[in-house]
Amino acid sequence: MKDVLLKKELFNGFVEALMNSYKVAAPTRRGDKSFAFNFITDPAEVCLDHIPTILPPKKYFLPQHETLLEYNTTEGQNMQAFVEIEPMVILGVHSCDIAGIQCLNHVFMDRPKDYHYQARHDKILLIGYECLRKCDQYASCGLMQTHTPTGGYDIFMTDMGDHYYFSINTFDGKSLVQLFDGFELADTAAEKTLKKLRSDKKKLFRNETDVSLAEIPSIFEWGFDSHVWDRTAEKCLSCGNCTNVCPTCYCFDVNDEPELNLAKGRRVRVWDSCQNETFAIIAGGENFRPKRAQRTRHRFFRKFKYPVMRYGKFFCTGCGRCSRQCMASINLKETISNLKRSWGEI
Amino acid sequence: MSAPKVAFFDLACCEGCQLQVANLGEELLDLLGHIEVVEFRELMSEKWDGEYDLAIIEGSVTNVEAEEKVKEIRSRSKMVMAYGACAVNGGINGIKNKTPMEENGRIVYGDRFKDYPSMPTKAVGDVIDVDYIVPGCPIYPPEFLKVLKSALAGLEYVIPDHAVCVECRFNENECMYEKGINCMGPITRAGCNSWCLNNGNRCYGCRGLLSNPNIHGARDVMKKYDLDPDVILKSIDMYNAAAGGKDE
Amino acid sequence: MRIPLKKSGYEIIKAEVVKITPMTATEKLYEIRLKNGENLDHDPGQFVEVSMFGAGEAPISVCSSPTNQDTFELCIRKIGRMTSVLHNLEVGDEIGIRGPFGVGFPVNLLKGRDMIFIAGGLGIAPMRSLINYVLDERRDFGKVDILLGCKTPDKMLFGGEVAVWAERMDVNFCCTVDKSDPEWKGNVGLITTLIPGVNFNPDNTFAVVCGPPEMYIYVIQELLKKGMPESRIYVSLERHMKCGMGRCGHCQIHQYYCCMDGPVFPYDKVKDLEGAI
Repeated sequence: MKDVLLKKELFNGFVEALMNSYKVAAPTRRGDKSFAFNFITDPAEVCLDHIPTILPPKKYFLPQHETLLEYNTTEGQNMQAFVEIEPMVILGVHSCDIAGIQCLNHVFMDRPKDYHYQARHDKILLIGYECLRKCDQYASCGLMQTHTPTGGYDIFMTDMGDHYYFSINTFDGKSLVQLFDGFELADTAAEKTLKKLRSDKKKLFRNETDVSLAEIPSIFEWGFDSHVWDRTAEKCLSCGNCTNVCPTCYCFDVNDEPELNLAKGRRVRVWDSCQNETFAIIAGGENFRPKRAQRTRHRFFRKFKYPVMRYGKFFCTGCGRCSRQCMASINLKETISNLKRSWGEI
Repeated sequence: MSAPKVAFFDLACCEGCQLQVANLGEELLDLLGHIEVVEFRELMSEKWDGEYDLAIIEGSVTNVEAEEKVKEIRSRSKMVMAYGACAVNGGINGIKNKTPMEENGRIVYGDRFKDYPSMPTKAVGDVIDVDYIVPGCPIYPPEFLKVLKSALAGLEYVIPDHAVCVECRFNENECMYEKGINCMGPITRAGCNSWCLNNGNRCYGCRGLLSNPNIHGARDVMKKYDLDPDVILKSIDMYNAAAGGKDE
Repeated sequence: MRIPLKKSGYEIIKAEVVKITPMTATEKLYEIRLKNGENLDHDPGQFVEVSMFGAGEAPISVCSSPTNQDTFELCIRKIGRMTSVLHNLEVGDEIGIRGPFGVGFPVNLLKGRDMIFIAGGLGIAPMRSLINYVLDERRDFGKVDILLGCKTPDKMLFGGEVAVWAERMDVNFCCTVDKSDPEWKGNVGLITTLIPGVNFNPDNTFAVVCGPPEMYIYVIQELLKKGMPESRIYVSLERHMKCGMGRCGHCQIHQYYCCMDGPVFPYDKVKDLEGAI
């Protein structure tokens, strides 16, 4: 598929064209330092140059509260499972967040497939937006190598000064471009500029840590008993911020929400967190991860070891949200570094 | 099956939780289609002398009369719900437990304080068995309805034992600490859908502490953001003094 | 836009309670028939999610042998919110079932081998599905030893059935209670005390262990002392399996999801995982 170019002054026109056919979610400002993906009503709300939003776009694929089914017990246990969603475009997604969605795809498309997820996934189109500089000191996309996209999007936009370069990856992406008249075909010069820009990026997005990606599996092979986890636990308030804002955390709880007549209601899945003290309790009261240290460790292992064994992938996108949102300053990069350093001190 | 008979009572409190119920609007009408309210001082003058299916009590126990009243309510009720911070953990009334009763009396009533006998604040659950609780100052109406539905269905309801932060992140609020404002969210029980924070306020901890809060960690957080760490203990006392606010 | 789903994994199959047998003060046995006319078609050791709309779901292991077609049985201990609801069920009531889920006991691997079953307390529930399977297909198996333990005699589950096992000539049966009562004539002591008395050939025997979390480590130590290889000790682990599809995270034991990779594990697979046993 041929890539295209769009003059910057025409961008708002393109967004309007998208809004005529789709619900459009984009990063918008949320407070002084924060951004959030929201459905927009005006292209002026879009903040393409944003640091990672408070919640990643996973909230559209796996909403905080999602109705799985409606039930009616007036005449027995009757129910209908469904998904409620409008066709939508998420605009301005950083490559780290696209990597996050790719991780979730692995989990929810794996057998047995999650059809609620799949139904949402099928209705969501992604327009990525390239980072040309590091967002802040919390990100570790250099370590995780997620600063440049590796698929998973319909269109990917790159800022080239007076215009945007649109890399078109899917037929759906092509159809989005066809909604608007102002595109020009990308010429060889533009393609060269993109290549140059990406190779220059490698110098900007260096590994932020003293740990290499290749070392991580061995660090987490022996790091289970490290004292690092006890030190982390002293700080941790178990507030659950890190998991809620993580683009690859997907644990949930399932609850019934009856109406006042009690016969009808909905079965809902709600995000849950392994950091919550009650997460691993079984009926009868036994808690399999009662200690904060066990829980903070579990989160790290769920990023750097367990998914590698299960899906052959690290489930960290380097977006930095867990560290940015942690009021107790538990920093992912530091924790991995400390873990590496703690070898032999155990 | 006739609609369950429900009665609302109040002890030492501001009656703000009743107001939340009265302000439910359309949901209140829907609710009245499923229960029969037999007593509700703020809304009606009728009384009931039979058995209650569900007694809903607001306010804390601060004198002998109140103690006897809740015992009597218990003996006449199949189920009892304590709602609002005052009823659930003593609430603001608990602050008086920090000073001797006599001193409290003198401050409020002057020399005639002996005419107004008072005792240390107790939560309703400290005096009688309570089947359901709805914490909060005031109660969060959707949670009240949730608990009420559980009661009507005869199901146990467990108040979440995770931090308000969980819901605050669901609602994608900017963290109060990022704005340099001291917030009780990380050590306070969720269930209110981070009501205050959604409206730009901080969390005051009205719902009570987590069962295992990391107070040391919370103090370190305050220091990190240049906030006075002792504020945290004071804030805990504001609503939890009667519940034996956890000192380090 | 509302997209209806037919097989999202969260649909329940309607089922009917056909029989309820009170067993102890806290346990009842439920016989269940699926209303779609199909058999549950489970492996011994698998579990189902029992659903009551409005109350929720609870993971319960199937305690009947798959050789019992048409209906299956669940032994439910009243221990939490959901199981209290289930204890109010009456014959003829409708419930919802999802599953069966998980990996059960490796029946084909066990064929032709000697078997030792060691169950404590409610651990007999998942194990009974295998014991009855083995007894129904008795000729396919070698020597069978059954060791049972529970806190007190009145807490013994499946008493009538256990008495039949005890009588069988082709089963070595042994039973103990932690604390006896005046009528109890059997052994008194922890279940571990029964193991030294069992004769088995470590080269041809599989052991199956189910019980409360604190029981495993001591029972397994005794078995290992007698030369049982780790790979031939099977355990069934209890966690809160919520979704049954390896996602919700509640039942996770390190890299494993108990609902998908378990609940039955060979001991060597989980022995080095802190907190697993």
